[in-house]
Amino acid sequence: MALKHRPAAWPWYLLLAAILIGLTAGLWVATQRVHYEWRWERVPQYFAYRAEVPQESPVAGRVSAIQADGALSRVVVTPADGGAPVVLPVETVQVAIGDAIDREDSVGDHYEWRIGPLTQGLWVTIWISFVSGLVGLLIGLITGLCRISDNPTLRGLAILYIELIRGTPLLVQIFIFYFFIGTVLNLDRIVAGIGALALFVGAYIAEIIRAGIQSIPKGQTEAARSLGMSAFQNMAYIVLPQAFKRVLPPLAGQFISLIKDSSLVSVIAITDLTKSGREIITASFATFEIWFTVALLYLVVTSLLSQLLFWLERRFARSD
Amino acid sequence: MIEVKNLLKVFEGRGQPVRAVDDVSTAVAMGEVVVIVGPSGSGKSTFLRCLNGLEEFDDGQVLIDGIDIAGSKTNLNTVRREVGMVFQHFNLFPHKTVLENLTLAQRVVRKRKAGEANERAMALLTKVGIAEKANEYPSRLSGGQQQRVAIARALAMDPKVMLFDEPTSALDPEMVGEVLDVMKQLAREGMTMAVVTHEMGFAREVAQRVLFMDAGRILEDAPPAQFFTAPQEPRAQAFLKQVL
Ligand SMILES: Nc1ncnc2c1ncn2[C@@H]1O[C@H](COP(=O)(O)OP(=O)(O)OP(=O)(O)O)[C@@H](O)[C@H]1O
Ligand SMILES: [Mg+2]
Repeated sequence: MALKHRPAAWPWYLLLAAILIGLTAGLWVATQRVHYEWRWERVPQYFAYRAEVPQESPVAGRVSAIQADGALSRVVVTPADGGAPVVLPVETVQVAIGDAIDREDSVGDHYEWRIGPLTQGLWVTIWISFVSGLVGLLIGLITGLCRISDNPTLRGLAILYIELIRGTPLLVQIFIFYFFIGTVLNLDRIVAGIGALALFVGAYIAEIIRAGIQSIPKGQTEAARSLGMSAFQNMAYIVLPQAFKRVLPPLAGQFISLIKDSSLVSVIAITDLTKSGREIITASFATFEIWFTVALLYLVVTSLLSQLLFWLERRFARSD
Repeated sequence: MIEVKNLLKVFEGRGQPVRAVDDVSTAVAMGEVVVIVGPSGSGKSTFLRCLNGLEEFDDGQVLIDGIDIAGSKTNLNTVRREVGMVFQHFNLFPHKTVLENLTLAQRVVRKRKAGEANERAMALLTKVGIAEKANEYPSRLSGGQQQRVAIARALAMDPKVMLFDEPTSALDPEMVGEVLDVMKQLAREGMTMAVVTHEMGFAREVAQRVLFMDAGRILEDAPPAQFFTAPQEPRAQAFLKQVL
């Protein structure tokens, strides 16, 4: 049987490449226009840098020897009270043989790798998103179940919560949570930030879970109940495991949004990736570079997460 | 085994309320096979689903083995262990293997140990002729195989009564026989059964009584020989003319 004639795809790829090159060129021209001077070399230090750390002598005494050992020097201090000599490794020596040294005097500097503010901010973003995602999942599961409950009180509360959260901006919720609830309950800003994010994402997850549960055919519950399973056992063994598989893709989308939305907690002075970026810019003036880098970091985290969830999804597809 | 007294089930729809089961009284003795027939929408499924409380009825009484299933002291889950049900669309658990479909309720409801549950499950799968599919997921099975698994799943709870709601209606014709064979064997072994079906051959061969339902009422209750040859009610006569 003859297949349908398929036009060649390569001209379209060529066009795609041309457009991408065009966009890049446009960007370059635009930065030329504003006379922006790219200083990408300034960026790496904000991930990690070598810090100069003064090497202090733990004892009072006299410098008795300085041994060179490649880039390193060993300053030997003989204590005044006649104890065993102390060897202090340094990279730049600031004393000479015979110098008198007090306790806690610096004998030189050595260098240590320190993580920079971008890495720190990234880490804060990741763990805040993780914790609030986890709490939000729990809130969403409970609320989702209340939402479809036969009990009018539970259902009413769930609807009220979902509507309140979905009908107001996250930024406003963060402010309310921080300035009102946070003050009343005397919450740490991190706790307030995580709380606001968890409540926010919980409302959306509740709707995802409700839809997931309702997408499972009634016959499943009927079969389970006809075997004598309780409503709880039916949920735990039959409905939720199947619903979970179905809600994985929308949940993944929600968690990815959460990572991005978490940037809003920077308004209550939590030093997440976004706030770190802002702080670095005030010091470095590498505005474009830092914002591009920050964007790229968010992109990396969200792509990794979507890969992970994609893999999970495939594992759960086993029984199809 | 099953006693039904003045059962009433009304569906309050948007339009007229429907009396899906309208003042039905009947009984199924131990070891008896009762086939329920009737036109579409006559309330057969609803009646059957009232028997294990899947449908909450509005009035009347259902006694299973002497226990009032709607009684205030009755735990419906305990009653349902004794009443197996087989559905038109099988309703197997798609996320569980065939074996797990049979063992889950044994373990969480009957509290059987894994070994015991597996043994019972394998014995039943052998009996319905699909032991070799024990570790497959239901989606890999044909309709007839799935329905046999569903029957085995219900039997795994060692019920005293089995309810069948059109167990062969969703099957390709060539698979109807294999499911009916399993049901016939079950009947021969003395299982108490209430079967809604359009398989008149099955009714004739296996049933002790045939109930004819129309508009929520049992219009005729007779042994198959009598029902199929000399139905009393004009509506039963019209129905038989259509299906035979
Ligand atoms: N959940 C429901 N809500 C409202 N009306 C319903 C519901 N279930 C059934 N009915 C109505 O009750 C009546 C009896 O339905 P039932 O499904 O018991 O009939 P049936 O005899 O099993 O028909 P079939 O042979 O088509 O399966 C019908 O009029 C149907 O429309
Ligand atoms: Mg029906």
